[in-house]
Amino acid sequence: MKSLIDVKNVRKIYRMGEEKVVALDNVSITIERGEIVCLIGTSGSGKSTFLNMLAGLEKPTKGEILIGGIPIHTLNEEKITLFRQKNIGFIFQAYHLLPMLTASENVSLPLVFRGTDKKTRDAMATEALESVGLIGYEKRKPSQMSGGQQQRVGIARALVGKPKIIFADEPTGNLDSATSKEVLELMTKMVKADNQTLIIVTHDRSVASYADRIVTIKDGNILSIEERRPEENEK
Amino acid sequence: MNSQDLIGLALRNLVRRKTRTLLAVTGVIVGTCAIVVMLSIGFGMSASFQEQIESYGNLHLVNVMSSGGGNMVGAGMEEEGKFSTLNDKAIKAIEAIDGVEAVSPKIEEYLTFGVGKYIAQASVIGLRPEVMEKFNYKIQDGRLLKKTDKYEVVFGNQVPFWFYNPKKTMYAGGGDKPQVDVLTDELVMTGDYEYGQKKTSAVTDSNTIKYKLYEAEGVGVLDNPDDESAYYVYMNIETLQKIANENKKARGEAVGRDNNYNQAMVYVGDIEDVSTVSDTIRDMGLQTNSLNDWLESMKEQARMIEGVLGGIGAVSLLVAALGITNTMVMSIYERTKEIGIMKVIGANLPDIKRLFLMEAGMIGFLGGFAGVLISLLLSLLMNTVLLETMNMFLGSMGGGGSVISVIPWWVAAGALAFATAIGVIAGFSPANRAMKLSALESLRNE
Repeated sequence: MKSLIDVKNVRKIYRMGEEKVVALDNVSITIERGEIVCLIGTSGSGKSTFLNMLAGLEKPTKGEILIGGIPIHTLNEEKITLFRQKNIGFIFQAYHLLPMLTASENVSLPLVFRGTDKKTRDAMATEALESVGLIGYEKRKPSQMSGGQQQRVGIARALVGKPKIIFADEPTGNLDSATSKEVLELMTKMVKADNQTLIIVTHDRSVASYADRIVTIKDGNILSIEERRPEENEK
Repeated sequence: MNSQDLIGLALRNLVRRKTRTLLAVTGVIVGTCAIVVMLSIGFGMSASFQEQIESYGNLHLVNVMSSGGGNMVGAGMEEEGKFSTLNDKAIKAIEAIDGVEAVSPKIEEYLTFGVGKYIAQASVIGLRPEVMEKFNYKIQDGRLLKKTDKYEVVFGNQVPFWFYNPKKTMYAGGGDKPQVDVLTDELVMTGDYEYGQKKTSAVTDSNTIKYKLYEAEGVGVLDNPDDESAYYVYMNIETLQKIANENKKARGEAVGRDNNYNQAMVYVGDIEDVSTVSDTIRDMGLQTNSLNDWLESMKEQARMIEGVLGGIGAVSLLVAALGITNTMVMSIYERTKEIGIMKVIGANLPDIKRLFLMEAGMIGFLGGFAGVLISLLLSLLMNTVLLETMNMFLGSMGGGGSVISVIPWWVAAGALAFATAIGVIAGFSPANRAMKLSALESLRNE
């Protein structure tokens, strides 16, 4: 498999007044296309900072991040936004659906920003909602849905534009364990089907069991990388 | 993001925060109404000024007078293009000015008309009969003067009502119908003011001076009920000059031999040209006056009033603009997270900016639209139900008339465009701010 994401010696320091806080010390990792990677660590370990940098939301203090060969840490905000629009899907812990839009409209929002015409994007949104098992919920507002349903809308939204990479930040953090299981199975099944790369950030070890590789982060450094691909193959 | 989606999303956001949107829109409505209604009252005033002045006479008309006295230069010594007296040469020069459609010298003589026992006294204006039509005199009965007319006269339509029998009454009673028919009855005229009245024993002009009595013929009655032409009688200037000279002779006064006139009337086709024509004539060394001079100064005054009223309105729209800015800033604080989400899932920076500008512009547009509609309604009310009350208030400012408020279409369109522009401008800084919000910071804000 060809490498999709190349992280080289990334370091991130926050300045809090006089004090310097090292969020990431020296992180290097290569992630391949179609892989499901779980970044696990306690709160404050630097895992979220790492995710934000992979998504281009933050810039590293030092080091390089290449996605598909593009050095995203050098792009300006406008270019990185366009890059995200085309290549990256996001799933959030708090779902982050827009409250005034229906499920279907939320799902098609990334396509709206891409400038896809209404007919095409309605069809794509319906298809995405169907694949997350939410047929019949198209016209519901987020406030009229359960947490699990909202997160499934969130997944549909992240996947609707067929991005190469999907980032999930504590996707099950607000869900009970049964729903968490459902949501994780759905996510992994869908990305595998389309050979998309999924990067999950969590502090929950049970979530990590769905990944091909578990990257444990502690105090801004990669503590261990655990390959789970063989086990996945057994399934 | 295409425009349709942008409009849809912006509308959604406005509808979501109904109360706040409504308040911001209301601010714009009040501002727009203030400007439009204030201006409309100003326009109404200038319309009623014009209406009033038109009722005094013809706005196309410029009266020309010789500069008179003190400057008695011989005709040969006149500067080129300058005239100290109003003679035929001057009339020709005036005729040549651009915009002038007709010119006639004008003399005036006070004569007494008699029909049987009935008499009436009136000012008779002598002018060149062939220009009457060009001067826009309209006929009600009969015809206007023609070139061959001599003792034929045309009456202003009030004059026939003045005929009375001096042996029975002191003056004409205001009947519905004149007591004589000036077009068919035998008509005489004379310079004798006491013609037809009871002879008194006292020594009066009438007893000592022998005025000639002329046989006249009424050929027409004018159809200008409102302006001053209703109160005059018109005839051929040459004949009237002759009568005037004969009257002077009868009184034993000297008769001037030159063909200098006291006055001339100039008809200008386009009211807009009146002031330039007046200027040109004044440059010739003659004096002019026209109702238009007066109208100009009243219009100037009306423009000032419009400016003041519009300014008051503009202040309230400015306040509305602050309201919009405030609404949008609040909206950004409230929607920080949402903006972050949109950015993370792929909204371009210009899209975010456009969305907020669109929302602000819509507040302006909706407010402007409703404001214009309400203003039209208010204008209608002021011109109908509230007309009398408003006239009482505005009368003191020199306004008032059959219309109080006039909203020209371009004011309505302009107000709508202005309100929208104000909205967009008010939204500019909040929109920039929204665009610059860090996506990450926004998402942390929970």
